[in-house]
Amino acid sequence: MSTTLTSRIAADYALSAPAAGQRRAAALAALTAQGLPTSRDENWKYANLRSLERLRFVPAAAGAPADAALLPAPVPGFTRYVFLDGRFAPGLSAAPAGPFSTLAGAPEVAGPDPGGRGADERFALLNEAFATDGGHIRLTAAAAPARLEVVFLARTEAEQGTSYPRLEITLAAGARLELIERHVSAADAGSFVTSALDITLGKDAALTHYRLQSLSATSVLFDTLSATLGPAAHYRLHAISTGGQSAHSTQVLRLAGEGAHLSMAVAALGDAQQVQGSFALVEHVAPRARTEQLFRGIAAGRSRIAFNGKIVVAAGAPGTDSQQSLRGLLAGAGAEIDVRPQLEIYTDDVRCSHGASAGKLDDNMLFYLLSRGLERTEALRLLKWAFLADAFARIEVPELRRQIEENLAAALKDRALKELL
Amino acid sequence: MKSATENLLKIEDLHASVAGKKILNGLTLSVARGEVHAIMGPNGSGKSTLASVLAGRPGYEVTAGSVTFQGRDLLALPPEERARAGLFLGFQYPVEIPGVNNVYLLKAALNAARKEHGLPEVDAFEFLQLVRGKMALMRMEDSFLSRGVNEGFSGGEKKRNEILQMLVLEPALAILDETDSGLDIDALKVVAAGVNSLRSPERACVLVTHYQRLLEYVVPDFVHVLVRGRIVKSGDRTLALELEQRGYDWVSGEAA
Repeated sequence: MSTTLTSRIAADYALSAPAAGQRRAAALAALTAQGLPTSRDENWKYANLRSLERLRFVPAAAGAPADAALLPAPVPGFTRYVFLDGRFAPGLSAAPAGPFSTLAGAPEVAGPDPGGRGADERFALLNEAFATDGGHIRLTAAAAPARLEVVFLARTEAEQGTSYPRLEITLAAGARLELIERHVSAADAGSFVTSALDITLGKDAALTHYRLQSLSATSVLFDTLSATLGPAAHYRLHAISTGGQSAHSTQVLRLAGEGAHLSMAVAALGDAQQVQGSFALVEHVAPRARTEQLFRGIAAGRSRIAFNGKIVVAAGAPGTDSQQSLRGLLAGAGAEIDVRPQLEIYTDDVRCSHGASAGKLDDNMLFYLLSRGLERTEALRLLKWAFLADAFARIEVPELRRQIEENLAAALKDRALKELL
Repeated sequence: MKSATENLLKIEDLHASVAGKKILNGLTLSVARGEVHAIMGPNGSGKSTLASVLAGRPGYEVTAGSVTFQGRDLLALPPEERARAGLFLGFQYPVEIPGVNNVYLLKAALNAARKEHGLPEVDAFEFLQLVRGKMALMRMEDSFLSRGVNEGFSGGEKKRNEILQMLVLEPALAILDETDSGLDIDALKVVAAGVNSLRSPERACVLVTHYQRLLEYVVPDFVHVLVRGRIVKSGDRTLALELEQRGYDWVSGEAA
């Protein structure tokens, strides 16, 4: 990180957080010590780090309440909480109760030790240093299963300040949560969003997590998701990313308990000049844990899509079973796809498989559909759909699935369907 | 209404190559409405190439000759327009398309054909009635509809699915490329019943096959023997039986 950037962050911090407590100060110190990544850093190659030069790090000011019409349609059965530029919006939310509370003005209480964050979580430190609010979901061992939706609405222009969505989730032994997390923009605001999620799953806890990122085409997102899975905990992550001028997501997922199970399916669509990058670090540190990782990305126009999936199996993790299936589809002459599975194994007795491909649509499939009379544009759209289907086929909430399919279909239809062959 | 004896398909002196290699060498064939033709020949004689060229598969270069289909220059049309004009190719190796379900493809294909004829999209209820009826004929279970196109199907299921599509689309001309290969006798009978159910004075069928077994159940009006990219002998169904007894060397030798 350039000294200028460091000092600008420090200056903005001094402006915005004079009364910040120890934990936020510690986050800033850790960030200053580590520095933000540069484009020379392999895991950040595709992130638009240059955008940082023109951004303000002060949190976006609290403005007038937002219009409920800006929000996506609710999903029946899910209790909704809304944050506007990272601040809780009571007018658009259910009353905080049960497992949900806000961090309101005191984001000091929970979360991991800032000093313990790895180099990949540096943007989470930025969030921790500046966020003044956030959501806190805690399910105790005796709690009933919960279904919550958290919507992060970004409205402030990047030049006016940053949006810092923050969510901390703790599930005690055996607790079950279904969570919808959305990142959306108010109209076409070009916002700078730095979000951080911290998840801790106790023994036998189960979290099904739907992440839908559809920010405006001028927004910049740096997102960090950190999760620790206890014994036999099950974390199902479905992430669908279609928005942003530049959206970079880092996932640090630690299978720390024996028999923990991670199943993640990520889909990304890019068009025009969009950049969608993901770095997923999965650490197996306990025996007999299981990971299934699936990525499907479609790059149209001159967009760039990258998914770097790294799985590390530590010496203390015999019996690890991991599967990676990473596939990218080039749908534009100037588009770029980079999918990379990486495996580091420090023990015997593991079953790790991976498959990765980046290319164009299958000629035989296309000809088959054409030979049945389908229009070329429709055949191409259908094949793109089929390509993505693996990534959302197992979404079990009907209304949510309908919304996702509708959004994806619209995205594929509206985007220029370039001739692929 | 066009007369039943009019040539539906007219292939004249067709030459075609694949990756620079000449496969078809002056093939001439006429198919009239109401007729069933069988094209037989040894491996590598150009049978499947002919089917692919007619359907418009990319990678097949026509170097000379012409193909007229219902009075139109078939070779000038892209594959999807050939299909909508009433030409159906039953694939030798039907393609698996996970993520696209069968019912969707059937409906999209049927609607494409209807649009071509100025008809509105098919009513959802009527469509299901229609498809279920055809599926019963093909001995296919309801669950086929919601499965991905040919995804995880056995060889026999894939071939039955090709015939199901044909039955739903009711093409003027069906070209079935080795639809009998890999079928056990029961599946062969089901497939044959499907093909026979579509026989009519309005429609024609070209069966591309290596063996005469299928022809016991779908009796052709004409049998042609293809050797090195040309039809070297034509006859009625007895020619197929003769080939079965005497082998392809017999006609290959005659042609040489």
